[in-house]
Amino acid sequence: MATGKEFAPRAIGVKEVSVSELQPNPHNPRMLFDREPLRVLLESVDRVGILVPLTVYYDRRAEHYVILDGQRRWMVARELELPTVPVNEVAEPTLVQNIVTMFQIHKLREDWELMPTALKLELLMEELQERNERKLAALTGLDRAVVGRCKKLLNFPRRYQDMMLDPDPEKRVKADFFIELYAVRNDRLVNSFKWFERDEFTDKMLERYEKRAGLRSVTDFRVVKQHITNARRAGKKKQIETRFRQFTDDESFGIDHLAIQSAEVDAHTRQLTSEIEQLIAGLREVDPDEFYGEEALWDGLENLLKVVVSKLKKAGRRINV
Amino acid sequence: MREPRPPGTPINMQRMRDWATEFAGYRINVTENRIDRWLNQFEDDHQDVAARLLDSVQFVSSEQMAALFRDALRSLGGWSLDEDEREGSWLFVPFTGSSGESGDVMIQRFRHANNMAGKGYSGLFGYRADLLRSRLGPDDTVVLVDDFSGTGDQACDSWEMIFDELLPERPRVVLLLVAASARAVERIASETDMEPHACITLGEGANLFSEACPYFADEEKEILRRYGEIADPQYPVGRGDCGLVVVFAHTCPNNTIPILHARRDEWEGLFRRYD
Repeated sequence: MATGKEFAPRAIGVKEVSVSELQPNPHNPRMLFDREPLRVLLESVDRVGILVPLTVYYDRRAEHYVILDGQRRWMVARELELPTVPVNEVAEPTLVQNIVTMFQIHKLREDWELMPTALKLELLMEELQERNERKLAALTGLDRAVVGRCKKLLNFPRRYQDMMLDPDPEKRVKADFFIELYAVRNDRLVNSFKWFERDEFTDKMLERYEKRAGLRSVTDFRVVKQHITNARRAGKKKQIETRFRQFTDDESFGIDHLAIQSAEVDAHTRQLTSEIEQLIAGLREVDPDEFYGEEALWDGLENLLKVVVSKLKKAGRRINV
Repeated sequence: MREPRPPGTPINMQRMRDWATEFAGYRINVTENRIDRWLNQFEDDHQDVAARLLDSVQFVSSEQMAALFRDALRSLGGWSLDEDEREGSWLFVPFTGSSGESGDVMIQRFRHANNMAGKGYSGLFGYRADLLRSRLGPDDTVVLVDDFSGTGDQACDSWEMIFDELLPERPRVVLLLVAASARAVERIASETDMEPHACITLGEGANLFSEACPYFADEEKEILRRYGEIADPQYPVGRGDCGLVVVFAHTCPNNTIPILHARRDEWEGLFRRYD
């Protein structure tokens, strides 16, 4: 598997190049360059010049140098009207080398620009025949979570991807919508419903989200997913199928409609049981001699005992204390 | 902008019929009843200027759009319907919108107008999301299709934020617009690497509120501005202060004055943008 070193461009040498012969890398993720750090850099360059050469390659077709690393230094040089800047020229990278280098150099973009990043990742995945998130994260320098998010976006058909690339901010759909929807759209139980069709469901959710009909926020899909999961674990598949279909087809049914009482109780029980087990394990580690003076702990345990005894009595359980 | 009838021309049945006929292709039916209701939003003393405003609307019908698209494509150097005679690879992509939206409508109209609706031409059309993997280079052409640019803001911003990055191998990029203001064309040409190609270019005179517009007196412009403030307090003369009176068969741009398209409790435009 590629580690990154084989993607490092081959160095040619350092020289001075006219500022006007340089252009930003088109693969550079679009960022807003904060004025304050730029101002600090400008003052530094004004005093001592550019000490670290920019890394550039010569684009033979466009007939100018392209900046691989050092765009801020270039911007500052332009502002200071420096005639030349020092550059370390490397061989023109391949598309894959270029994309990998840009990923490694630059920080992540804001959410709505995630789609271009995802499309670049898609190219890398195809070129390298690699889909493993950990390996892609190591290669690109992206967080593994970001790689995961990008892969989710790539899972959607092109027409949805285009919605995230819409120049019109009023029409553009944020990447978050699709990322949060992904878990529901791809849920195994949901996909087993004969009537369910992913794109049709996505279209309906888009419409609902646009109208804010029963969906206040994209994170509502996490709640939808949780209800489905709870129902599945509680063996309420038929019930959740009916309710999910109603929720899909009729905007008057909100997320709460998906909450099946017994399934919710079941889920809560699992959670409490897990927390009780953790508490028991933690308490077993407590050495009373060591914690003798910790009044808050002993008070808490006494309160806990009272609550537990009370609940057990109400539940008709025998108490062996 | 079309030259309106002289001030004082009666608003009679014939004139109403003429308007209904002129605007017949709009996606939301413009009937004589609707025109009457729209006019009645104006005070009696202002009916004449409202009527002349309707006279001045530049309505681009579906047929006109098709003809414009045909002429536009023919004028693009290097293009040929015959693949063997075409220079480089070509890809036509909606600039904005998606399935069912304006962009998709534009692409479909463009395809039909240029006899490329058949399956054999499907490879020439794609999504924005296809641009990066298309790997089109300097010998190739990408044509981004859209209906309108009023200020060039969206085109310039999106070039910077989206398209430049999705086209790293530097193909020729044409932004094909049905109509655009001269200001937008100039901005796009100077601030992006796109070649703007507007079938209809709107000069300063197309801005109803500009001094270059000869058809309405200053007092009339002020009257229309005040109604614009009712129709859309935030953009009384249209987005980007464009002051336009352009309407397409499929939609009304938001750079067009809101008297014509806004929909609020206080105002019902004749050319609603949304259902």
